[in-house]
Amino acid sequence: MAGKSGRTISAAPEKAWKTTIFSWEGIMVCIFLAVNILCMCLSPNYQLKNVLREMPKYLAEIFLMFPMVYILILGDIDLTVGATVCLAASLGCLASNAGLPMILVLVLMLVVGTVCGFVNGLVLTKFTELPPMIVTLATQIIFRGIAEIALGSGGSVSLADYKSFKVLAGKVGIVPYIFFLVIIIGIIFAVVLAKTTFGRKLYAIGSNSVAAEYAGIHVQKIRLIVFTITGLMAGLGAIFLTSVLYGANTTTGQGFELDVIAMAVFGGVSTAGGKGKMAGAMISAFTIVCLRIGLGLVNVNAQVILIILGVLLILAVMLPNIVTMVKNQKKTAARR
Amino acid sequence: MKRKMLSAVLCAAMVLSMGVSAFAEEASLPDASGKTFAIVTKSAGNPFNEREESGFQEVIEACGGTAIIKQPEAATADAQVSVIQSLISQGVDSISIAANDENALQAALEEATDEGIKVSSFDSKVNADSRLTFVNQAGVSEIGVTLMEAVYDIAGGEGQWAILSATSQAANQNAWIEAMKATMEADEKYANLELVEVAYGDDELQKSTDQTQALLDKYPDLKVICAPTTVGINAAAKVLQDKNSSVKLTGLGLPSEMKEYIGDDDAHSCPYMYLWNPIDLGRLAAYTAIALVNGDITGAAGESFEAGEMGTFEIVESDDGGTEIILGAPFKFDASNIEEWAEVY
Amino acid sequence: MKEKNGFLKKLSGSRELGLAAILIVLCIGIQIKSPSFLTPTSISDMLKNNAVTMIMALGMFEVLLIGGMDISIASTAGLAGMSVGLLLKYGIISNTFLGILLGILIGIVCGVCVGLVISKGKVLPIIASMGFMYIFRGFAYVLSGGQWASAADLGTFKDFALTSYLGFGVINNVIMIVIVCYIIFFVVTKWTVAGRKVYAVGSNVEAASVSGINSDRVKLVVYTVMGMLSGLAGVLSVSVYGSAQPNMLYGQEMDVIAACVIGGVSMNGGRGSVVGVFLGALTMAVINKALPLVGIDSIAQNTVQGVIILAVIVLNVLTQRATDRKNLKGREM
Repeated sequence: MAGKSGRTISAAPEKAWKTTIFSWEGIMVCIFLAVNILCMCLSPNYQLKNVLREMPKYLAEIFLMFPMVYILILGDIDLTVGATVCLAASLGCLASNAGLPMILVLVLMLVVGTVCGFVNGLVLTKFTELPPMIVTLATQIIFRGIAEIALGSGGSVSLADYKSFKVLAGKVGIVPYIFFLVIIIGIIFAVVLAKTTFGRKLYAIGSNSVAAEYAGIHVQKIRLIVFTITGLMAGLGAIFLTSVLYGANTTTGQGFELDVIAMAVFGGVSTAGGKGKMAGAMISAFTIVCLRIGLGLVNVNAQVILIILGVLLILAVMLPNIVTMVKNQKKTAARR
Repeated sequence: MKRKMLSAVLCAAMVLSMGVSAFAEEASLPDASGKTFAIVTKSAGNPFNEREESGFQEVIEACGGTAIIKQPEAATADAQVSVIQSLISQGVDSISIAANDENALQAALEEATDEGIKVSSFDSKVNADSRLTFVNQAGVSEIGVTLMEAVYDIAGGEGQWAILSATSQAANQNAWIEAMKATMEADEKYANLELVEVAYGDDELQKSTDQTQALLDKYPDLKVICAPTTVGINAAAKVLQDKNSSVKLTGLGLPSEMKEYIGDDDAHSCPYMYLWNPIDLGRLAAYTAIALVNGDITGAAGESFEAGEMGTFEIVESDDGGTEIILGAPFKFDASNIEEWAEVY
Repeated sequence: MKEKNGFLKKLSGSRELGLAAILIVLCIGIQIKSPSFLTPTSISDMLKNNAVTMIMALGMFEVLLIGGMDISIASTAGLAGMSVGLLLKYGIISNTFLGILLGILIGIVCGVCVGLVISKGKVLPIIASMGFMYIFRGFAYVLSGGQWASAADLGTFKDFALTSYLGFGVINNVIMIVIVCYIIFFVVTKWTVAGRKVYAVGSNVEAASVSGINSDRVKLVVYTVMGMLSGLAGVLSVSVYGSAQPNMLYGQEMDVIAACVIGGVSMNGGRGSVVGVFLGALTMAVINKALPLVGIDSIAQNTVQGVIILAVIVLNVLTQRATDRKNLKGREM
């Protein structure tokens, strides 16, 4: 059963080397290496400098994955992240063009994101009967709709002062700033999840929210906090996406939500709640990004890349289940 | 009658020139051997884009170069940024792009330019700062005048008409709609035409159908719908033809998709429509890219270059401060020539 | 007297009635704004244009009943529609019914794939169907090779959506198929063992297993039926719009899920009715039809749609709470 440890929460932290290697995270590291070796064999252009150069756009998505892991662990789901990015980026760019100083624009984007997240959280916690999927589906349409109204008939805004945003897309050597930020924020999210009572509470709620409620956890308060944090991170994602796009339009961030959920699930986070670790999700996110970059370099048709990702997603979740099933069957056979 | 004759002659000339070009190719082809040329279209799964790609590929390969065809994963600027980044990594010599957003690709394209890649756009432009030149299918104001004239003609000089566009942020469509409005205001001739609404069908069949039906319900006196988008015109044509409506349609559409609906009689919903040849557009984009890479042109106004069998093209100033190359006037498709052209694209 | 009271109580307590009331108010409002809304042609147009959502909503209803989820349906419909469109285009088939049958078959195959991965592979439904959403859509693109199947390519296939021989010359064929689907589902869920099994699995999987229901098989069947209906919806949409495009019906799954939830189907499983689904799908259809009609600025239409969806489901919850409270009061007395 050790092979499954990444997909279950163990009461006591496991220290043994064997369990680390055979955990889902260990397997993920192997897959990550395999993908990189494969890409290097496929294309001579798959070099560190190219990969790092192509990465910033994808890194903006990884920002959104961190809080999505929290949300999935709670057993919730949030389909609004892409639309929130769109709204925050649009309003930010419009404000910047209207003459708001750079620093206030950044604050505005974060605030817009946070407000969107808070609205989601508020609706979900006031009407606990409503499934998060349908609520966030509706608010997603609304957020993107507001961006459409704000952007007006052109549907697109271009940043007049893009030079100040360009600074954010700068690099230390060949490594973009945003890369460091993603790693730092990822570590913060991972530590909070694994080492604090807040993180434990998330698992408790995800495993059994009724029991968690009776155990004195303020379930709704925590959900509200997590959804609000998601909005904040979407605002951050919007800032960095703006620095890459020099503006925003009504399709900005389209499809981010499913990309992000796929990354988390591939990393061993269960959409049923209560299971998953940040480390797995982070390695999986980078694995998917590297695979996309690598396949893009050999000009595989974009739709075929999606087919490959779809197959990988299903296999990644199904294989561990099948392995356990076969093991159990063997056990019962041996008992006979 | 005269119109019909003219279009028949035009069509014959086009077919002839295409046939001739097959023979004449050897003589005047530029050399592109050892170079890599990339084309990035707006989206996958659209025959118009697919024809552009095939025209581009044909020319590049005939000139001895390597063509890379890239479609973004979705019809968004986000997705095109990833594609451009990937092409930079591959060290291509030129990128020809049909942009989903005029400004959003600037950062990526500037980076490409810094790496020595020749960037040009075609079909749907990027802003003047991020391109060397733009291969335009037809002048914006020319399209506006042509469509306005068609509306005037079909409506019989007066009455209500409406526009069914793609999305509210589609740059091309918006530019053409503005040009139509400008044409309408500039000339007294159009004073009796009333533009009642600009509806957006988002290039989805269901939504375009809803919007068309709503136009019919809302404006019982409507005479003409103009749909400057291939999906919209398709959906609208179907609605009007099924209802046997007296409202007629014109706009920009693919002949192969619109064959069923084009005709002079009342049984057909669209008397005539316009488009340019996407294969030629792809070809011209390819010749432009080769000329840029070979250093024959720099993209400045006033320069001119040989586009193989297509003849000589001149680079001119464009409205947005950049330069452009204009393919030609939009081509008219009506009952007399639709059958032939439906076979081509 | 007493019986009548009980009946009234039952009525006022039903979610369907609340929704029906909302729908009627909505329709009256639109009718006042735009008198051409409630005319036979207008209603027929509306039903035809939303047949896809209405049909797929039935399958989604069953999926949600067993506590599942399927977001691959729009891709399945796209794949089925595109395949049949191409077969017609290249003249491999020409018979309308063969086309529809093939579409349904492709849908069934897709549904079986999803169902097997969920029931045998024990993959969570949202993940399994997300994977297949990418896969089926990708196949549709690859198959099409960037081509559409146009009205001229489809030949007589598109006449199916224009004629009404299935509906006795009065009701359009497509609408007739929708009606038949709803009748079948109404009967099956209400009065057959199979229908009750689905509710049983959705309410409590363990209890269902103990009472001898093979829940894996029920799941497989439900997802297969979902696939079948998606395939049907896909080919019908090709016939209705006279065009097959690889990205057709993109994102439609969300409309379908919204229709079910508006119709009072619980996403936790075990609760919902065919009548509710019908009303929910009808609400979505009315919203789609009415938004351009009542003269809302086209840029604001999406926002308004989102607000209406949110408002309807929140109203649903509020009425539910009110009736619960009333029922509790009744018990105290």
